[in-house]
Amino acid sequence: MNAKPNTIIQVQNLSKSFGNLQVLKNISLDVYQGDVIAIIGPSGCGKSTFIRHLNMLEKQDEGKILFNGKDIYEKGLHSRFVRERIGMVFQQFNLFKNLTVLKNIMLAPVTLHKMTKSEAEAKAKELLNKVGLSGYENHYPSQLSGGQQQRIAIARAMAMNPDVLLFDEPTSALDPEMVGEVLKIIKDLANSGMTMLIVTHEMNFAKSVANKVLFFSEGIIKEQGTPQEIFENPKDERLKEFLSVIH
Amino acid sequence: MFKKIPIWAILFFSFAFILGCNDNAIPANKVFAVKDLAHKKVGVQIGNTADIYASDFGGDTAKIQVERYSKLTDAIQALSQGKIDAVLCDDQPAKAFLRQNQSLKILDEVFVEETYAGVIAKNNTALLDTVNMALKNLKISGTYDSIFNTYINRSSDFHYTQKVKSENKLILSTNAQFPPYEFHSANGIEGIDIEIARYIADYMNRSLEIQDIEFDAIINSVNSGKADIGLAGFTITEERKKSILFTTPYAESKIVVIVRDNNKISKTESIGELLHKNFIKEARWKFIVEGLGNTLIISFFAAFLGICIGIGVSFVRFAHETMGGMKFLNTICKIYLAIIRGTPVLVQLLIIYYIVFSSVNVNKILVAVIAFGINSGAYVSEILRSGFKAIDPGQIEAGRSLGLRFRHILSHIAFPQAFKTSLPSMTNEFITLIKETSICGYIGITDLTRGGDIIRSLTYEAMLPLLAVAVIYFILVAGLSSCVARLEKRLKKNER
Repeated sequence: MNAKPNTIIQVQNLSKSFGNLQVLKNISLDVYQGDVIAIIGPSGCGKSTFIRHLNMLEKQDEGKILFNGKDIYEKGLHSRFVRERIGMVFQQFNLFKNLTVLKNIMLAPVTLHKMTKSEAEAKAKELLNKVGLSGYENHYPSQLSGGQQQRIAIARAMAMNPDVLLFDEPTSALDPEMVGEVLKIIKDLANSGMTMLIVTHEMNFAKSVANKVLFFSEGIIKEQGTPQEIFENPKDERLKEFLSVIH
Repeated sequence: MFKKIPIWAILFFSFAFILGCNDNAIPANKVFAVKDLAHKKVGVQIGNTADIYASDFGGDTAKIQVERYSKLTDAIQALSQGKIDAVLCDDQPAKAFLRQNQSLKILDEVFVEETYAGVIAKNNTALLDTVNMALKNLKISGTYDSIFNTYINRSSDFHYTQKVKSENKLILSTNAQFPPYEFHSANGIEGIDIEIARYIADYMNRSLEIQDIEFDAIINSVNSGKADIGLAGFTITEERKKSILFTTPYAESKIVVIVRDNNKISKTESIGELLHKNFIKEARWKFIVEGLGNTLIISFFAAFLGICIGIGVSFVRFAHETMGGMKFLNTICKIYLAIIRGTPVLVQLLIIYYIVFSSVNVNKILVAVIAFGINSGAYVSEILRSGFKAIDPGQIEAGRSLGLRFRHILSHIAFPQAFKTSLPSMTNEFITLIKETSICGYIGITDLTRGGDIIRSLTYEAMLPLLAVAVIYFILVAGLSSCVARLEKRLKKNER
């Protein structure tokens, strides 16, 4: 394993097809400690499928994903180990409907013996405070707005102290007035040095928070670079067209 | 609206009661000789030789319309209510029935004459020889005549009581709806066949155990080893000889024709008299209480077993559907579901009793619990599965993304939600289960329905026992429904 010491995730020649449709074509990517990577691109280009691979929610057809230098599908390495270290936030929040806010956050750390109950509770309260939802401990998800639910979902993912956080279009299912509160939380996380990959349609947000932007189109990374390179000086024709439609 | 349900129920049962009291418009008797039976509706007991004779009667031109009843009492009741025109049955039971029901009479002309013998498993010639020796001794000793004088001629009150008490049992299979050969009384099951069986048991130095089941199930029971001997007024026929051994005949009987007597109108009894006759006399209410107890025990434990099986099966199927990789177990579950849902529960009950447990002496209540539990499990698992399907897959993905194992997701997230969604359908399943246990009588368990049937066979009165049984089932189901409604309310609080 010749990974650089500060490389967290290495994706090597990843390919995936659903039936006859090839969604990902030979994708490679290195993610370094502290990276905040924004993934943009038209719908159906494979952004979400890509990010789901990093959380082992999809199984690639070809290629390798290395996490801290180890193949995540290597024998003896339990999928659970990878998932504990890589958190994920979904478009639809996906909170556990039968559990209170507090229990949503505490469930994984306690069940997987990462923390004792009281430690997990203290951690959950601290996280709730961080996402601005102190006092909502005993609410059920159905009693919260979309923005509040997504903030809880972020707190839930953070409770496992992950090395990397993945966001799959975290604001796409929200009403416009709630987008801001969620983006603010993600921004705070970025500022705290968290390694993150964010699939998003919020270009201004990508510009301001990411240190690297990937433009996905037709299953490949068409162009990548710093926000300045991508947004101010795009080279690829498809990217130019995409940005002109978005702006 | 909900609070008014009991009122509507009371109205309904009262309406049924009034209908039951109304015995107008019973058609006059039109059968005066055997030849008049042509084209008439004639009741017989299923499996009784009268059934065979009646079916053969008259060739193609003068066929009898045979109506088959599982109990002779039901046939007699149908006759007195004018639903059928005549009943064919053995003369001794006929006389016993007529002592109770004054509005019927027996035609002087005999339909056919026949002889009774006991039945023994096809391969058990050793037992046959012993029983035949016992029957021979019974006649020589004069005990036989004494028993007959008691029951048939009513000229003595001799009763043969068993003397031997032993761990070793002789199991008698019979259908105690056939007086005076076998019938329920306040002292349990009595009759000529029973006393003969006691004598045989003494002769063999065993103690007698009686198994009261449907008449058409007795031969099966004996052949499968559930019982040693069957005595239930069996007539020797060529057809039966193929599947069973007959002892030497021990009684002669005639099949006679019972018809309504136009000259005698049944006297109407007051409600007080009816209540006394059906429930109070000879403490007959005890049959209902005993039956209710068994119905409750069977329903409760079968529901428990059904929930356990249902949860297990639905877990396997849910796991397979979300994660894959349980192909073998999933296939087994699918086969189980297909078989259980594809066959009637009565058939399953009989298969479990007569085939699965054929060689084991097992408690019948346990058999019923197992049969109904296995049956209910199939439905519960499908109900739960639909509950699992209603959970959005996102929650399960979120669980997996946190590193939770499948069993954690199942127990903390998926099952609690699936259970809550399935609760209304599950209640429905258990309501069905309670009512389905009413077929327990087929393997000789006195459940609530059977308890009412026993009273009917003693009083020749349909309305009150049936209504009482219906009201009790109704109360059971209403109780269950209101308990679940309360539980649902509590679970709802959890969410909003």
